Amino acid sequence: MTGQGRAVKRQRLAVLLLTTVILATGCGTAQADHQAGPAATLAPPSLAASLVTSAGTWAVVPMGGNPAFWQLVRYSTAGGRWSLVTPPGVADNGGLVLADLGGQSLVAGFRPSQDLAFSPLAITGDGGKVWSPGILDAGLADVPDALAAQADGRLLAVLRNGVAEQSATGVGASGWSRLTDRGALAASPAGQKCDLRALTAAAFSPSGTPLLAGSCSRPGMAGIFAATATAAGTWRAVGPALPQSLAGRAVTTLRLDTSGGQTLALLAAGTGPSTSVIAGWTSDGGGHWALGPPLALGGAQVRSSGLGAKGAVWLLLSNGRAETISAPGGSWRALPTLPPGTVALALGDAGQFDALATHGSTLTAWRLEARGVTWNIAQTISVPIQYGSSS
Amino acid sequence: MMSGMGSSLQVGNPTVAAAFRAALIHQGIIIAVIFALLLVAWISFREWLPAARAADSASGGSAWSLPAEPAGRRMLRIGFGVLWIFDGILQLQSAMPLGLPSRVMVPASASSPGWVKHLVDWAASAWTYHPVTAAAAAVWIQIGIGIWLLVAARGTWSRLGGLASMGWGLIVWIFGEAFGGIFGQGLSWLFGAPGAVLFYCVAGGLIALPLRAWATPRLGRRVLAVVGLFFFGMAVLQAWPGRGFWQGTLHGHPGTLTSMIQGMSQTSQPHFLAALVASFGSLVAAHGFAINLFVVITLAVTGAALSSGGPRPLRLALVAVTLLCLADWVLIEDFGFFGGLGTDPNSMIPLALVVAGGYLALTRVPAAVTVPVTAPATASAAEPVPGAATEPAAMSGTDPANEGATAPPARPAGRAEPAGEVGPVPDARPARRKRRLINWPGRCTPAALRRSVGAASLGSVAAVGALVMTAIGAIPMASASANPNADPIIAEAIAGSSAAFDYPAPDFQLTDQQGAPVTLASLRGKAVLLTFLDPVCTTDCPLIAQEFRGAGELLGANSKRVELVAVVANPIYRSIAFTQAFDRQERMDKVPNWLYLTGTPPQLTKVWRAYNIAVQTEPAGAMVAHSDIAFVIDGAGHMRQELNADPGPGTASSTSSFAAVLANAAEHVLRPS
Repeated sequence: MTGQGRAVKRQRLAVLLLTTVILATGCGTAQADHQAGPAATLAPPSLAASLVTSAGTWAVVPMGGNPAFWQLVRYSTAGGRWSLVTPPGVADNGGLVLADLGGQSLVAGFRPSQDLAFSPLAITGDGGKVWSPGILDAGLADVPDALAAQADGRLLAVLRNGVAEQSATGVGASGWSRLTDRGALAASPAGQKCDLRALTAAAFSPSGTPLLAGSCSRPGMAGIFAATATAAGTWRAVGPALPQSLAGRAVTTLRLDTSGGQTLALLAAGTGPSTSVIAGWTSDGGGHWALGPPLALGGAQVRSSGLGAKGAVWLLLSNGRAETISAPGGSWRALPTLPPGTVALALGDAGQFDALATHGSTLTAWRLEARGVTWNIAQTISVPIQYGSSS
Repeated sequence: MMSGMGSSLQVGNPTVAAAFRAALIHQGIIIAVIFALLLVAWISFREWLPAARAADSASGGSAWSLPAEPAGRRMLRIGFGVLWIFDGILQLQSAMPLGLPSRVMVPASASSPGWVKHLVDWAASAWTYHPVTAAAAAVWIQIGIGIWLLVAARGTWSRLGGLASMGWGLIVWIFGEAFGGIFGQGLSWLFGAPGAVLFYCVAGGLIALPLRAWATPRLGRRVLAVVGLFFFGMAVLQAWPGRGFWQGTLHGHPGTLTSMIQGMSQTSQPHFLAALVASFGSLVAAHGFAINLFVVITLAVTGAALSSGGPRPLRLALVAVTLLCLADWVLIEDFGFFGGLGTDPNSMIPLALVVAGGYLALTRVPAAVTVPVTAPATASAAEPVPGAATEPAAMSGTDPANEGATAPPARPAGRAEPAGEVGPVPDARPARRKRRLINWPGRCTPAALRRSVGAASLGSVAAVGALVMTAIGAIPMASASANPNADPIIAEAIAGSSAAFDYPAPDFQLTDQQGAPVTLASLRGKAVLLTFLDPVCTTDCPLIAQEFRGAGELLGANSKRVELVAVVANPIYRSIAFTQAFDRQERMDKVPNWLYLTGTPPQLTKVWRAYNIAVQTEPAGAMVAHSDIAFVIDGAGHMRQELNADPGPGTASSTSSFAAVLANAAEHVLRPS
């Protein structure tokens, strides 16, 4: 080949190379524009929740936009009104989780936000008028049942790193000790059966046994575990057997809570459009379960949830629907179209519902009477949000 | 300043802007003095050279024939010289020190892959640590390169100018433009791909080529062929489906091009321009498909014409490129520097210059010029330089402006020849071989240097001045980037100036994180940096703790003579359990001279009052508000300084800067008065 021929060949090669690079860039760009969204999974419910104790109904609601300032409000049956009882002294932009200490007492845990890495606690014994400080020297998980309490002062916490801790002596820093973690629980015989992926809730059984719950990837297995009294650090599976229609689906525990002598578990089976929710009740720490009927979510997500007296449950779905089930043997009931801005519901003693709706710094409680079909404004609270205080 | 009240560092911060102005004035004076000295030296040395004077008074000396600078090269050199100066002037904007990283560098890499972002973030971080030095450096480097290109027309100085343009251009292209976005999404010629500064690099590389590379049309053909291929590739990219260019609007939202134009029309600019760009945006929204089709076809045809090499297609392509670039520059790029923090006029002008340079290289032939070269010849004859007998040492060797010169004249001057008919160019290689034999030590004698300077052209002197200007920007930046600590100016910009005092600091009696009692009196003999922190604070307090920690590290051996002290600023969450948790969280438990003090509510309230610290419990989920202040107390227990400790945005640079300020303050009180 002549020198000129070689030069021509080199030029053609260079042209080919450059064209390939340009086309490859184009392909890469086009592909990047068409990336699929995240895989459809069931997101855990937010920390917006309500809880009924002997001190009244407590509700946690996010307000103020982004970052949210989480507020704790309490409805006193005696007073017949909602009042703002958010514990002071800590920025609560990470969210609040509640646990019933019995009587008028309640413990609130602050989820860490921004540069705070641990969870301060606040304890009240008078329905939220006065709070005293406590501490968990680790960050609470981002689930509504990250904290559980027993009337004798014992506490149970699920941390964001998958560790479960307990405190036998109350809310002081020195009282906390490691109970287990997701890895250890997953490696146990009970955990292996369900292929445990995450811890999502903690509770005490009516008899005071620590319970932990999570999400399992083995179909049909509800990951609820009870600490055995005989050997420390060992756990047994106490989750309910799901009905045949849900047996082929992976199960996540959305809520686990003990109140009025029975433990409620709210379970989600499946992912995506086929997800169903089912509630189960047990009064013997998981020995026997009563299951409600499944509720098909139709592709919606559970935005928030809460518990009423006697085992009642409500769900607020991402499609704007609200569903409730009163007790074992009951069925799911859709509530009338919710007022705009509703972030949480609260169940009253007389079967009435309150929808807590937020708009800026205004919290509005809408009332739906027991057999009513329309929501009516019951109360409006102006919340003194300190905008800019957390930036 | 109350903790967590949203303080930030605005890009137009007056403290930083004033410091930037002062640095520019200071460095500008130095540059002016150096220019003046160079000029005086040059005039003086010329006066000492009799031959030079003779040459000035009579034109009878021997003459060297130099090939005139090729027109294409001249266009690139002057065009990009002007562009660099313009870019340097844009760098004078007062928002540049704080704004360039956040408004230019980081957004440029937003859609790029992680490794590009990492690279750009690293450079942005280096800039934010030394914002004034970096911004001033960019001004002088760019203006310096611009002047260098303008004044050095030929020779080694000129080629070095091209290399400098290419080198700095690469730095800007990689770190400032994130590789022109070629690895990101939405790459399009219309939006300036592959980055304006890449064309500066190309032009610099062409200017750096030896003159003989310009002597034949081959260089021009290659330049145009590559540009043609680039146009063709950009046409393919523009035509690629699914990128949003074919639709003026998409599901009720503006398409990719419409969105870009609408965005540009909303930037700050004269009204008529905004109206012009907005109306073009409306046209694109209504006829997106047709406009994109036109762009694709035009790019492809122009690319093919540029690559063809035929005289007629090339002329048409040149016209098409010029019109396309102008239209894109005005209607889509919006002149490139309006709105935001413009750093250059974007890619269309540089691209058009490169194409025009390539075209001129194809169609023009260097014309020889005759330059009287009396001084070196005479000087060499009168005072021979050892080992330099084979060429006129003082001129050819040390005044590289005449590189490529040959004697006698190689060809008659002034006649342009059509492309492809260029005759042989005088071979410079023998002269280059001779140059290797030059005795460099002999040339560095004072007499030889004096001769060299005196014999140099004014252009060479100006080029040296431009090089000095570039160095005045580059050297402080290089030095600053080797310093891992941020400049104190950032802290001063956030917190303002500090107040100096000399009065006894109020004593206190509190408990440290281990439960041991601590009084201020017990710390006598040591300097004390004192602040007030909320252990459950989510924003400022952790940052202030890190500033204290950084100050301790900066103090080095002196840290043994300094106590870093914080007092709890929360009336509720105040127990030792919280100070210990805070210490673990912030890794302050590993800092030996760190004390985090607390006490009973009355004890704390007393200290807060004594130090005038406002601590206020806020309702509705807000954190406790408290003053962000640091006190500097000397070894005798005297209050010496009060610093605003509001950490501002809490970036790595601001934290480092505050640490430097605290360490400086501690060292100041440690010095014997």
